[in-house]
Amino acid sequence: MTGTTTPSTPAQVRQVPAPRPDVEEMRSRIGVAVRGVEYDAAGDPILYVDPERNVEVLAHLKGSEGGSYDLLRDITGLDLGGGHPIYVVYDLWSTAEGRPLRVKAQLRADRPRLASACDLWRAANWLEREVYDMFGVTFQGHPDLRRILMPENYEEGYPLQKDFPLRGRFTRAEQTRRAMSMALDDVYSMEELVTAGSGGEDGLPELARRQMAQTPGVTARAAPSELAGAGAGRDDDIETRNMLINIGPQHPATHGVLRLVCELDGERIVGCTPHIGYLHSGFEKLSEYRTWNQVITLTDRMDYLAPMMFNVGYALAVEKLLDVEITPRCKVIRVICCELNRILSHLLWLGTTAIDIGAFTPFLYTYQERERIYNLHEAYTGARMTTSVTRIGGMMADVPPGWLDGVREFVETFPRTLAEVDALLTRNSIWIGRTQGIGVIGAEEAINYGLCGPNLRASGVPHDVRRDRPYLDYETYDFDVPIGELGDTYDRYLVRMEEMRQSIRILEQALERVPDGPINVADSRVILPPKSETMNSIDGMIAHFKLVMEGLKVPAGEVWYSIESSKGELGFYIVADGGPKPVRCRYRTPSFMNMAVLPRLVEGELLADMIAVNASIDIVLGEIDR
Amino acid sequence: MPSSEESSLSGGRGQVETEVPRSWIITRLDFLVNWARRNSLWPMPFGTACCAIEMMGSAASKYDIARFGMERMSFSPRQADCMIVAGRVAYKMAPVMRRVWDQMTQPKWCISMGACASTGGVFDTYTMVQGIDTIVPVDVYVPGCPPRPEGLIYALMMIQEKIKGESIADPRSREEDPEGAGQPQLSPEEVELIAGPFGNSTFQNRVSGLDSSSPLIRPGDRKEQRHK
Ligand code: SF4
Repeated sequence: MTGTTTPSTPAQVRQVPAPRPDVEEMRSRIGVAVRGVEYDAAGDPILYVDPERNVEVLAHLKGSEGGSYDLLRDITGLDLGGGHPIYVVYDLWSTAEGRPLRVKAQLRADRPRLASACDLWRAANWLEREVYDMFGVTFQGHPDLRRILMPENYEEGYPLQKDFPLRGRFTRAEQTRRAMSMALDDVYSMEELVTAGSGGEDGLPELARRQMAQTPGVTARAAPSELAGAGAGRDDDIETRNMLINIGPQHPATHGVLRLVCELDGERIVGCTPHIGYLHSGFEKLSEYRTWNQVITLTDRMDYLAPMMFNVGYALAVEKLLDVEITPRCKVIRVICCELNRILSHLLWLGTTAIDIGAFTPFLYTYQERERIYNLHEAYTGARMTTSVTRIGGMMADVPPGWLDGVREFVETFPRTLAEVDALLTRNSIWIGRTQGIGVIGAEEAINYGLCGPNLRASGVPHDVRRDRPYLDYETYDFDVPIGELGDTYDRYLVRMEEMRQSIRILEQALERVPDGPINVADSRVILPPKSETMNSIDGMIAHFKLVMEGLKVPAGEVWYSIESSKGELGFYIVADGGPKPVRCRYRTPSFMNMAVLPRLVEGELLADMIAVNASIDIVLGEIDR
Repeated sequence: MPSSEESSLSGGRGQVETEVPRSWIITRLDFLVNWARRNSLWPMPFGTACCAIEMMGSAASKYDIARFGMERMSFSPRQADCMIVAGRVAYKMAPVMRRVWDQMTQPKWCISMGACASTGGVFDTYTMVQGIDTIVPVDVYVPGCPPRPEGLIYALMMIQEKIKGESIADPRSREEDPEGAGQPQLSPEEVELIAGPFGNSTFQNRVSGLDSSSPLIRPGDRKEQRHK
């Protein structure tokens, strides 16, 4: 690897004058593999590592005593275009110390290659596949480096590279033609086809057979009767073979357009491969083409179950970059929005999970309550679901008169419904039978898989961003972080039920303390001055003119900012170059991390339990696929 | 068919009335078939994204599309009459949608719910089908992002209206072309025509106001361009 030894991003990173001692100490411990240290807009350290030795450094960071960075939060790419190198960015979190660390490796743009970190973290598997899919970075030693979001036969290139046009390289007609002429082996992976044709090669479709002939090391699995020991202990006259079934992408129990290919031995699941990307919409690419405030309208279309949380998280991240401190009133209103949406999202999860397990009634109960939250959304923003409620530096508007009373009424009456659903389910023997002891994952493994949110807490890891890295003054609210013991489906259910109660507690406190005062910051860099000022003072007019004509400008820099969304830790990795639009908007969405653990959770379970487990990890495909 | 003599006996003579206790009516066959069809439309919910949540909302307690004879969400295409495509459809999903549509038996209708399904919406990107009508035929488009449940219910009522005007004597609208299965609905030229970029935002670059979609142009280049 040739290249510069002094790391310098064109998106310049602010230097913190005093280097942090712990980081310097770590740097000296790791030695020459670290080429430089910088600090981002939030003051978090970034280590620039030798790309040849990235795994060595990561292993060191993960394994170091005391301050171990054990949770891999994100791996992503960063392409600045114009012949600049491509970066691969790792984001780590230390659960013991409660602090983040970013590791960057600089790669040559023409042939980006890097060693895979899959051996260190299971979480790296899908994340690296995504970087490969979007940036074309090859991870050596990755067990299964395939495209993940785009179709297997996608030939237009790597969408998030800067020179890739927003609308793709081919014409719309060609894109349509290619989509409609997908062959079987574009849709199934090689191993799956091998299982499907486990009666020998004859069972395979023509195309698959041809491809198999070209792929070294892959042969059709022999029919089980030929395998020694297969069927031992069973009736030897009956020839059994594993069956492959395909669930989705259009299936009511997959909660969206998720496709699961399961290998079954009778009713037991031997292996399960989730195929995602059926809803990939190009949010990250599109964000690079929209102004800072326009991106907000995109964020709520990602997680449409808790739209306001995405709005708030994105706004907070950009405000961090801008170094804008929002008003006290805005903070409290945002907390109210977030917690309402946590309930909104958990309610949908509760209703649909209950349907999946066979109880229809809770769905009707929960939708009734959701409608009440939608009415609050509508009264505030005019939209039921796509709220776009925040602006950089404040909110779209102050809350309308009487709105807080509406929230108060909801807060007072909602616990009753929750108690009713609780009475229906929590001690219901069918419910318990379907959920207890199913899909178990322990704490250490959960961290290794990068689980987050209620799923991680159900396994007994008390990681909650609201606690560990408070934003919006969450540290001043009195609430509990529920954790589970076993990490089974029932625990995940209990944790979410309790979180709704805690949200009510936070809402009560927030409603108590809503301060008076302006909702938006009085900073003409980000928020339009009031009309009276625009009309009557020259300063106001200039500020208005600049903001309208040139747009909001965010100083060069980058930040990785996360909030606790209803599904888990929602991270925004945002890079700015001082222009009116982001250079890179990376949405590290919690469901993506949670989804990757499904194969591990369902292995050896019954097929019917897979539906319950899948429901219990609470995914939303809009957020997984982005 | 009852004779005209019998039908005129309805009033007056009680004896006949007991023999034929109102167990028949006279109607046009078209009317009868259409009446039956339009009041038991079973939707095939093809929900992908945000709009699907509003579709679920339409089926839940408050809006309750069961009032219009559509309570049975049929997750099997073979028992469904009306496909509701709710949400954005990626190219990766397009063949699946076409397959579901092909599997539905005639008579069938299709609703395109929301801006994304109808036109691609805000997602004029490399992955999104720019309007599902390039892949399957659409009967009713519902505007909105997302449309409210009332909007979806109105669309279903429009389908009902449409059914009223159909005649079983005219098979044209219900003909299936086996050749067309798995193929896009429109020809490549038509796809280009309706999926081409339009509107302001599709021409946006990373720097506002440029009409090129190459993201490499930076503020400095913009000045140069102007000087040319
Ligand atoms: S139209 Fe709007 S609400 Fe519907 S899927 Fe598209 S973005 Fe989501």
